[in-house]
Amino acid sequence: MKRIIVKYKYWMIAAIVLLSTSSVHAQNDLQFNVRYNVNIPAGSFRDFVTNPAYKGFTAGLAYPITSQLRVGLDVSYNDYYRKYPRQVYPNGAGSDISAVLTNSIQQIPILLTADYTLTKKGVIRPYVGVGAGVNFISFDQYLGEFDNPQTSTRFAARGEAGILIPLSSYSPTAIRIGGTYNYAPYNKDGVDNLSNWGIHAGVSFALH
Amino acid sequence: MKKISKAVMGAILGALLLGSCKKDPLNNLTNDESRIYITNYDSTAKFSSYNTFSVNDSVDVIQDNQFAGRERGNFDSTVITAVSQQMQQRGYQLVSKESSPNLAINISRVINTSTGIFDYSNYWDYYGGYWDPFYWGYPGYGYYAPYAIGIYTIQTGGLEIDLLDLQNAKANNNKLTVIWTGLARGEQVFNSANANAEVMALFSQSPYLKK
Repeated sequence: MKRIIVKYKYWMIAAIVLLSTSSVHAQNDLQFNVRYNVNIPAGSFRDFVTNPAYKGFTAGLAYPITSQLRVGLDVSYNDYYRKYPRQVYPNGAGSDISAVLTNSIQQIPILLTADYTLTKKGVIRPYVGVGAGVNFISFDQYLGEFDNPQTSTRFAARGEAGILIPLSSYSPTAIRIGGTYNYAPYNKDGVDNLSNWGIHAGVSFALH
Repeated sequence: MKKISKAVMGAILGALLLGSCKKDPLNNLTNDESRIYITNYDSTAKFSSYNTFSVNDSVDVIQDNQFAGRERGNFDSTVITAVSQQMQQRGYQLVSKESSPNLAINISRVINTSTGIFDYSNYWDYYGGYWDPFYWGYPGYGYYAPYAIGIYTIQTGGLEIDLLDLQNAKANNNKLTVIWTGLARGEQVFNSANANAEVMALFSQSPYLKK
């Protein structure tokens, strides 16, 4: 399995390099972006996972409507993991369970997006963006080695701000750095939401 | 079209990469962490009203919901001794079963077997080109596997300790009521080296169980 994962990683890197080098100086081409995310649970989500999700990625397509406005589609993946030391949990009247509890949560939001670059040119171009769509959620709570898997589909929305750093004045290829607030209602088994803050860094380039 | 193909290719590659990024909770558990301890008690029972107890001298083996006999191996002996010690530390007096104990303790090893099948029914269709029947001198022939490939069997086990109310058997309409149950499950639950820790865990989460 590990061999397969490594193989796919090489494929991914090769694809990114291939697409990056084939970028052209076109402003109206469909743009592809890929970003590495770190997401931090917010609000009551912190009751279930306190530590950040370091294994997060986003890939998206964006079509330029104007030189400053783009609309598109983003797919993200975040893996949250938290293991709590052994503790005794009440399990209804007269019942207790002692267990090491592990929460393993994966979120895959697929969002329609719009982002607006505040300047038309510049070495650094600030942008703001919004997105809304569906969130595919896998919430596995393990008591010891015993899993209680739950899968759900919920609404998701995102607010975003950041900067684009074009590689040259006319190049559509740019480094993208920013932060997001990801609104992710859940409402299941006492969990209100899976909302989180995120920071990301990646690259955006034109497809042709 | 070319753009879309590239985008789809990127998305598929991305999805494959992302899917490989889940941290597997089971790979991050020690055998001790894998075990869970569940206790249940009868809220109407007055645990301080009992004075004496007796423990079965062997362990019942329940295999696939059927009684498979009584055994007393290393693990069983260790559990019986540990349970006796825990009860005495809680203020109850160990007596023989002939001395009309107030409480009886049954200890069981519950083992369930489950069977599943990996469905590789299309195995030969996929690999038919590689394992060409021509090689064996039968050009144009197909493969046929009349049986399922990949049957597996998994055994899961649990240690169960039941505390029975003998003192009030008649008052309870001639029933031996279970007033406390302790269940341990997980990796190496029947390992002798873990027996003491398992019994201690079950009793320590039951502070009400005392004279």
